Amino acid sequence: MISSCASRWATAVLLSFLLCTAATGGEARQDAGQTWSSGTAYTLPVGRMEVGIFQPLRYGLSTSLEFSIHPLVTFLMPNLSVKWSHRSFNGFQVSTNHSLYYPTPLLRTVAREGTGGLISPEFRIPNMVAINTEVLASKFIAKDQVLTGKLGLALAAKSATLDRRTTIDLPLIFPRMNVFYHGYSLRGGTNLQGRMFRRWHYRADAEIFITPKAEENFAFEQLGLLLWQKSARFQFCFGYKLVYGEYPFGSQWHLLAPLVDLQWGWRVK
Amino acid sequence: MIKETRIHTSQRHWVLIATALLLSCDPLVNQFKPVEEAVIYTAKHQQAPPNNIDKITVMTWNIRFAAGRRTPWFGDSCGDRVILSEKEILSTLEGLAAKINDIKPDILLLQEVDVESKRSGYIDQVQWLLDHTYFSYGAYASIWQAQYIPSDGLGRMNMGNAILSRWKIVEAERIQLPQRGDQDALTKYFYLRRNILKTRIALPGVDSFYVVNTHAEAFSTDDTKKRQIERLENELSKLAGAYIIFGGDFNLLPPGSDSTDFCMEDKCSGESFHRAKDNPQHKEGSNYTPEMNWLRGLYDRYFCSVPMKDYLIDQPRHFTHATDPNATWDRKIDYLFTNHRWLPNTSVTHQDITDLSDHVPVSAQWEVPR
Repeated sequence: MISSCASRWATAVLLSFLLCTAATGGEARQDAGQTWSSGTAYTLPVGRMEVGIFQPLRYGLSTSLEFSIHPLVTFLMPNLSVKWSHRSFNGFQVSTNHSLYYPTPLLRTVAREGTGGLISPEFRIPNMVAINTEVLASKFIAKDQVLTGKLGLALAAKSATLDRRTTIDLPLIFPRMNVFYHGYSLRGGTNLQGRMFRRWHYRADAEIFITPKAEENFAFEQLGLLLWQKSARFQFCFGYKLVYGEYPFGSQWHLLAPLVDLQWGWRVK
Repeated sequence: MIKETRIHTSQRHWVLIATALLLSCDPLVNQFKPVEEAVIYTAKHQQAPPNNIDKITVMTWNIRFAAGRRTPWFGDSCGDRVILSEKEILSTLEGLAAKINDIKPDILLLQEVDVESKRSGYIDQVQWLLDHTYFSYGAYASIWQAQYIPSDGLGRMNMGNAILSRWKIVEAERIQLPQRGDQDALTKYFYLRRNILKTRIALPGVDSFYVVNTHAEAFSTDDTKKRQIERLENELSKLAGAYIIFGGDFNLLPPGSDSTDFCMEDKCSGESFHRAKDNPQHKEGSNYTPEMNWLRGLYDRYFCSVPMKDYLIDQPRHFTHATDPNATWDRKIDYLFTNHRWLPNTSVTHQDITDLSDHVPVSAQWEVPR
């Protein structure tokens, strides 16, 4: 039996994870010659590790491979992502990102009576697994300015029927869980980021989610972030996320703000 | 009756923070102004109302969000159901519409009506009932409106009071009632916000005609209900010179009722009350003994569709509610009042409707003033 404390923790972690994964796109990245990066096709330098309060822990394993996990949720939602940097085409760096996650323990933890019950305990959550594959292409369009495009496919499998009434009808969560009800979903987007002046950087990101078989099949998220990079070892970011989504009750806009995160980076010897 | 969702102080601070972050620019729970406009509805296909009338039929019904009487919903019975299927809700709504079409009230006061709530298949029950009966106009005032209730999987919630009418509703106000005084601040934040739904209806030949609907607190252990009834009386007193019909689920017994403590009738498996070691001594919402005179003022100043003397002669005949889905109706908590005149012997407590809600409707014919 999962304790009440664990379930509370799990729910908080689920919300934090989804909020911040969505806020950052959930992928590792690397500007050429810059240690801080996110949302591009570039991988981290070999031996470099980065983590944030709400960021995944990322590690540059080789010049073309980067691993990442979400340490906060890994015990309740085992997950692993691998970014594989391929070759350049006409100045575009191309990578693929492959991630696997098993949300069943986490969802079973929040399917509970009382506080923290995001899903009614009357429903059974089956074993489920999802695989996301994403293609990213990045290019420097000016000095310190990187443009990225991305396109992805998520596939999910489950051991038994998942009752439709188990949906968590909240922004960020609903479109990412839709794949478990319909088998597959698509996502795509663009990202523009770069230096503004001195230590100040920006990031603008737009992403759409489409689940073709679903009635509520569309979501759009737009992120704006300002980043202050103190050094290669620390950065601070804040911003907002604008979300439009279709839910079982209809469509709705949400403005999520402020988003705040602290991030650290270091080199593993 | 809707029990509070089980959000306990020691467990919920992180939920509030995490969910507030997620929805940071939109309020989690709608707070409402002290007085604001209610939501006005119109039926998809409007029907011409009668013009030459000398009486109208009025009915009040707590419909338990179309969950039916037998569904063991966790919040108001000894059950574990939370989220009903659309099919279950539609089946009950069809039953409710059939009964309404059969009894044919001209004006209908409804309590516990859901509007796009997760627990009831996201159906707008006000619009659905308008579109499946002969009513043309509706007004709605929410009691419990939250983007997300992070407890028991409840999710999105919007429940309230409604008035359906054959004649146009020309004004509709939502008037906030005092909140419970026996809850901590955080529980209160997520809890229901009871209200008075006050409407002015264009009844032919009557200049100033108001219909007022309310649903008083169900589980308070302090004087909340008394303050809510006083607020209702205060609002009614502002309508001097107008014709008024008011009613609803008052969650109070008529003064003089024989049975006033229902802890034994309402208790769930494993619960114990009334013994020396029991704490609390009484089940929340089941002991009416300290509240027995709180409706006396309404009885003194207005005319109840079931006059006090009729009620006292044969109390069971007028019972409107029971918490046990298999029990016979065991208390009267649903009322119709007016400052004008009910036609004698026209009040009916529809105790034959056993499966559609944990309340039965009460109807009566009202004389249209000349």
